[in-house]
Amino acid sequence: MDLSALLNCVTSPACIVTQATSGLIIGTLLFLVAAGLTLIFGVLKVTNFTHGSFYMLGAYFALTIFKLTGSYLLTLFGGAALTAVVALMFERLFISRVYGRNVLMQLLVCYGFVLIFDDAVKFIWGPDFKAMGMPAAFQSPPLLIAGGVVPKYYLFLVGVTTAIAIVLWLVVERTRFGKTVRAAALNPAMVSALGINIGVLYGLVFALGGLLAGFAGALAAPVRSLTPGMGFSVLIESFIVTVIGGMGSIGGALIGSVLIGLIRTFGSIGFPLFTEGLMYLFMVVVLISRPTGLFGREFA
Amino acid sequence: MTRPGFGRDLILAAAALAVLVALPLIFPSKALVDFVLRCSAYALFATSLNLLVGYSGMVSFGHGMFFGLGAYSFGLLMQRTEMPIPAAFVLTIGITALVAFVIGLICVRLKEVYFAFLTLAFQMLLYSLILLWVPLTGGDQGLSGGIPRPVFLGIDLTKPRHLYLTACTLLIVGLLLMRHIVESPFGYTLRVIRDNPERAAFLGIDVERMKLVAFVLAGIFGSIGGVVIAVFVSGAYPDFAYWTASGDGIFMIMIGGITTFLGPAVGTVILLLLNDFVTRITDYYGLVLGPIIVLFALGLRRGVTDVLVEAWRFCSRNAGPVEGGALTMPAKGESTAPAPAARLLKRELKG
Amino acid sequence: MLSVDNLSKSFGGVAAIRNVTLDFPAESLTAIIGPNGAGKTTFFNLISGAVVPDDGRVLLDGVDLVGLSRPEIVRRGIARAFQVANIFPSLTVEESLMVAVQAHHRRAGVIGRRFPLANSGKPAEEVMDMLGLADKAGTLCANLSHGDQKLLDIALALVLEPRVLLLDEPTAGMGPEERWQMINKVHRLWERKRITVIFIEHDMDIVFKIARSIRVLCYGQVLAEGAPDEIRGNPEVVAAYLGTDPEARP
Repeated sequence: MDLSALLNCVTSPACIVTQATSGLIIGTLLFLVAAGLTLIFGVLKVTNFTHGSFYMLGAYFALTIFKLTGSYLLTLFGGAALTAVVALMFERLFISRVYGRNVLMQLLVCYGFVLIFDDAVKFIWGPDFKAMGMPAAFQSPPLLIAGGVVPKYYLFLVGVTTAIAIVLWLVVERTRFGKTVRAAALNPAMVSALGINIGVLYGLVFALGGLLAGFAGALAAPVRSLTPGMGFSVLIESFIVTVIGGMGSIGGALIGSVLIGLIRTFGSIGFPLFTEGLMYLFMVVVLISRPTGLFGREFA
Repeated sequence: MTRPGFGRDLILAAAALAVLVALPLIFPSKALVDFVLRCSAYALFATSLNLLVGYSGMVSFGHGMFFGLGAYSFGLLMQRTEMPIPAAFVLTIGITALVAFVIGLICVRLKEVYFAFLTLAFQMLLYSLILLWVPLTGGDQGLSGGIPRPVFLGIDLTKPRHLYLTACTLLIVGLLLMRHIVESPFGYTLRVIRDNPERAAFLGIDVERMKLVAFVLAGIFGSIGGVVIAVFVSGAYPDFAYWTASGDGIFMIMIGGITTFLGPAVGTVILLLLNDFVTRITDYYGLVLGPIIVLFALGLRRGVTDVLVEAWRFCSRNAGPVEGGALTMPAKGESTAPAPAARLLKRELKG
Repeated sequence: MLSVDNLSKSFGGVAAIRNVTLDFPAESLTAIIGPNGAGKTTFFNLISGAVVPDDGRVLLDGVDLVGLSRPEIVRRGIARAFQVANIFPSLTVEESLMVAVQAHHRRAGVIGRRFPLANSGKPAEEVMDMLGLADKAGTLCANLSHGDQKLLDIALALVLEPRVLLLDEPTAGMGPEERWQMINKVHRLWERKRITVIFIEHDMDIVFKIARSIRVLCYGQVLAEGAPDEIRGNPEVVAAYLGTDPEARP
């Protein structure tokens, strides 16, 4: 425990900026993953344990696309889109068979695929750590804000994630698709009775979740090292975020992920060996006081 | 309706013990002995998890914490104090019961997914504490230096034969005790809580209190599994308390079958065999195990022993009114309607 | 014996029960009727402790039950059967009843012995005989017909030796002949056991034939109460509820 270091940091603007932006990055990436997770849970009532693998796939697809094309824009959208396709196929072929079943069956199917995806990635790309490298556009020196170091890419990341979050919000709240999705979350039988193909809808929602996770992976690729199994820690953290924020609540996922991101960065200064423990402690505290999460609703 | 009595279980247990004892005499092989030892530890753990999942309907993702707690408590007591093994064993159980009681108090009132995640959170918290408290636990290196094994009651656990016999006895006795628990009135109270907790309350049952007792009992037997593994590897490692321990437990009971008492033990054997076999032939363990697990989940949709019991019941009834699969206990939350819309429609109409 | 005093409950701004004051004397056989949404099931929920009222008291022999847990209220003597059979799919009929008996005897947590306990068998058997489930004793509850499930649902309440038995639409989902068989069983057990029985029912023929007194709920309030003939002739009740074809199921 190093409380003096922590105190030093929070009294230094430079440190606050550096750590806060790092935390924000972690938070925004986590938010994308968690948003997909909470969406899938809220509408399909499925706890998607494979979600971390989608993040991983997004990153690896990005790696390859960037190597082939050199265009980061293509990488970003390509990685996310490919992941969405994988997610869609996974849902149509496998997940759709375990709707309504208990969470253990869903867990089993998903975990089986985590093993498969992890090894497939190991097989195709190799087991060692890979790096995508920073795209040329962001290779300029970092900004200095109040003495704190802020890589330009971080700004881009936050910007893109904010844009995605806004688009997501618009889609869910303002489009017909979004309305249907929200209705399906509340009353699938009614939506089905209105003539909407629930199967297609569920597939699209799942694909959307996968898209978000894929985006997160592609966005993370320049700043994280890639390894098969990178999905796992993201999965655990995004579950913590969804549970803290409330399963089914995208707003809750946002708050939760920012909190977790900040806990990680500031926590690693004050409690270097117990950073993970801090997160779990936080989750325990939240669940004790608010069993359904900060913004969660009870699902029947 | 006759129900198998304690006498029958005792005879079966004695027979099983005899078989286990005879095994290394018939097939002298260190690998076999090691395998049975590992199975003993994990079978105790898996069966204890099924007390929660299969019999009480409480899906815990954090049960591994008791496995680790048992291993570390016993290991530390033996390393740091001069107490004899039986005393350390009893004290370990006491420590586990206390921890399980406190954590259970907090967790059992939560529903399904939240219960699952809170137990996982507590487990990972324990794991983080183990990693953190280096002077006590050795951090990520685990308890090193071996676990002292002073002779007790004429048993010398440094001798492989004694170790093997003790582990087998612990396994059989532990299973026998758990069997007694699930076939007691309390065990049936748990079953009704699993099937319909709302109605159970309307029968005058204190659902939360019963669940808490189940949680503590399951924790105790889980930690006994941890003690066995600690003695076997002569140490304790953070992995014992990692989420994978809980995950392994879940897979063991699902593959073996949650509706039968011995299902988890069968699942343990299967999973350990698979692990050993697959890691020997390929580096790509996941590409083999993954599809197998998916097959279980989508194809069989239940464990091996569940299928066997169903088949046996089907064959032994002649032209009975069997509704496909209805003879087995429907897994918690499982419905007979295939599509989510249909199932939810049914629920809507119930009002 | 059982009375509610100024009972009120709202859900999200909608008043399900409003200022309901009713009395149910010992050994009475009362039907609660009213259009859908009148708050009948909510009323049962309030009495049995499934839902906590916003206001008012539930008095059993003068003791207020509000705030007590569901198991505690059961132990005081109020048992309940459900509109949709609420049973234990993986147990047999006999096993379910024996678990109920052992709970009733406060032996639900016994670990030292084997199930079933010695004195669980007879009470279970008695109830099964009374309701005609004896030949189904060994059947898994999941395999029972709908009518038998409803019988078991009532049996699970009856075996608790209650002083007040709440039956929520005991004939729901049954054909005409089955309905009469069921309600006759209810009537017989009321006569034998001399307990207070309150049942919710939609079939007016049954209500007027069987019930000794009737309470009419409408929009969460008591519209009328009294003997069947009084109710039949009550113009308000007729207008609000009986005006439609009494045979029509809501």
